[in-house]
Amino acid sequence: MRVFFILLRKELRSYFFSPLAYVIMAFLMILNGVPFVLSLIAMQAGERQHSLVYFTFNSGWFWMAYLLLFPIITMRLFSEEQKMGTIESLLTAPVRSVQFVLAKYFAAFVFYCFLWLPSLANFLVFEAIGDEAASFSTGSFYGSYLLLVVMGCFYLAIGCLASSMTSNQILASIIAFSIILLHFIFGFVHFFSTRMPAEVMERVTYTSSYEHMRIFSDGLLDSRPLVYYLTSAILLLIATHQVLEYRRWRV
Amino acid sequence: MIRVQNLTKRFLSHTAVDGISFEVEEGEIVGFLGPNGAGKTTTLRILTTFLSATSGTATVAGCDIFSQSLELRRKIGYMPENVPLYTDMRVKEYLRFRAALHRITGRPARVKVGEVLDICGLKDVRKKIIGTLSKGYRQRVGLADALIHNPELLILDEPTNGLDPNQIRQARDLIKRLGESHTILLSTHILPEVEMTCGRVIIIDQGRIRASDTPANLVGKLRTARTVSVELKADAETAAKALTGIQGVRKLIRQDPVNGWTSFILRVESQADIREDVFNVALENRWPVRELSQKTPSLEDVFVDLTQPVAEA
Ligand SMILES: Nc1ncnc2c1ncn2[C@@H]1O[C@H](COP(=O)(O)OP(=O)(O)OP(=O)(O)O)[C@@H](O)[C@H]1O
Ligand SMILES: [Mg+2]
Repeated sequence: MRVFFILLRKELRSYFFSPLAYVIMAFLMILNGVPFVLSLIAMQAGERQHSLVYFTFNSGWFWMAYLLLFPIITMRLFSEEQKMGTIESLLTAPVRSVQFVLAKYFAAFVFYCFLWLPSLANFLVFEAIGDEAASFSTGSFYGSYLLLVVMGCFYLAIGCLASSMTSNQILASIIAFSIILLHFIFGFVHFFSTRMPAEVMERVTYTSSYEHMRIFSDGLLDSRPLVYYLTSAILLLIATHQVLEYRRWRV
Repeated sequence: MIRVQNLTKRFLSHTAVDGISFEVEEGEIVGFLGPNGAGKTTTLRILTTFLSATSGTATVAGCDIFSQSLELRRKIGYMPENVPLYTDMRVKEYLRFRAALHRITGRPARVKVGEVLDICGLKDVRKKIIGTLSKGYRQRVGLADALIHNPELLILDEPTNGLDPNQIRQARDLIKRLGESHTILLSTHILPEVEMTCGRVIIIDQGRIRASDTPANLVGKLRTARTVSVELKADAETAAKALTGIQGVRKLIRQDPVNGWTSFILRVESQADIREDVFNVALENRWPVRELSQKTPSLEDVFVDLTQPVAEA
């Protein structure tokens, strides 16, 4: 356990001490600020059925930034260690590879959560200075952020797996982005096929991140997506561990 | 300290290490010598549990490499080939991190880090970012890292790779000094280094062990195959014939004549010194002699002889 925290601290340090962290943060603030402002403008124009939070998190801007975020955060995690050879000195010290994988993953997770703080500030400031309580719905606020955290667990694990597969960071980010994009687009399959049976359609929406966000940001909490994301994340992390062991122990 | 039995490592179809067995006793400094691609790094990686073996067993510092890998790693200090380091960390910070991985924290860690900084001559650069250090200093950081947890056994993969002659000498002295209190297994292809630092040499080629002995004994075995070189002013053909006639000459290599002078290299089988015979042959034929010398084999000759038996001068 202690080794885990030592590794975690080192990983966090390399996240926060690199300029990349602040570039990503700025990038995210811009890409999230735009839908926030657009939603504000739209809400000024007249009455809306949904809250400000809902509009912000269901815009194309948000999804574009969101899906791009994970490859950037995770690409260097394992690729860099393999490229630089530091994985050799690390795994010949008394460090279990499970601790290694988990420390990397949780560091990425902490960093990911940290990146959402500015957007949180957007809403909180708005709530504090605005008098339109209706546009800021508590349920949709908590729902959205809960889903952001849980969905992040899943997409970060995809990034980890991709990064463990290659020592090339660019390649790792492309692999991660492809998988993430495919998963996202898969949630829209029912738009393309009208002849799909209702039963299959329901199964598809079960994995649709877009659908989940639509529901959660309306303040409706559903446990199924949470279970789906968390179990998938665990499976992906197990796969990451296996890939690393295989690369090391291959015959 | 190290006991290796029939260790084999196959990468897909390529066999990098082919059933090697050897032992290293406590207190020894053993040099692992071999040409590029011989399987040195692969063997060391297996012994440090970074790679698995395809077959065979080994115990290192009393721990089995498969079943007790975590205990094993606590007892050894390993410096990988090319010394991988986190280039964005500062020297001292890196060593503190490595100490913490070995469960050395707080005051003991501060003391220990100061100690290894001292031993490896890193005091002046302790606040520098590793990425900005020269190769020589990085090598020292790698060594300091290997020493941080007081290991009984040091495994060093090419510790002097890429250093300038002064630094090689320093590193060699340091290794010798460390050898007084540690068992050391180091790989290299720099021969003088082995001769000067190692009590025993294991020569490995194409994944197999070719020889394992003290440097002096290895050279001694080659005694019979020493060479005599002679430079004469004579007709090359006739001279070659005459020189081959001398008893004990196994092989004669003739170089192209320059201004009438021809060099010959004679490989001699017997213990006898044939320089006198060579002189007599020259005297009989009234051939002027410009050079006559005998070369006893060096470890380099042993190395070349064992690792590329087909290549003849
Ligand atoms: N991960 C790997 N996958 C496939 N082949 C490998 C791998 N690692 C090493 N080899 C092969 O195993 C053989 C031995 O390599 P090794 O690195 O052990 O040699 P070495 O003795 O350390 O050489 P050098 O003196 O150049 O460091 C080489 O032919 C190499 O190509
Ligand atoms: Mg090597």
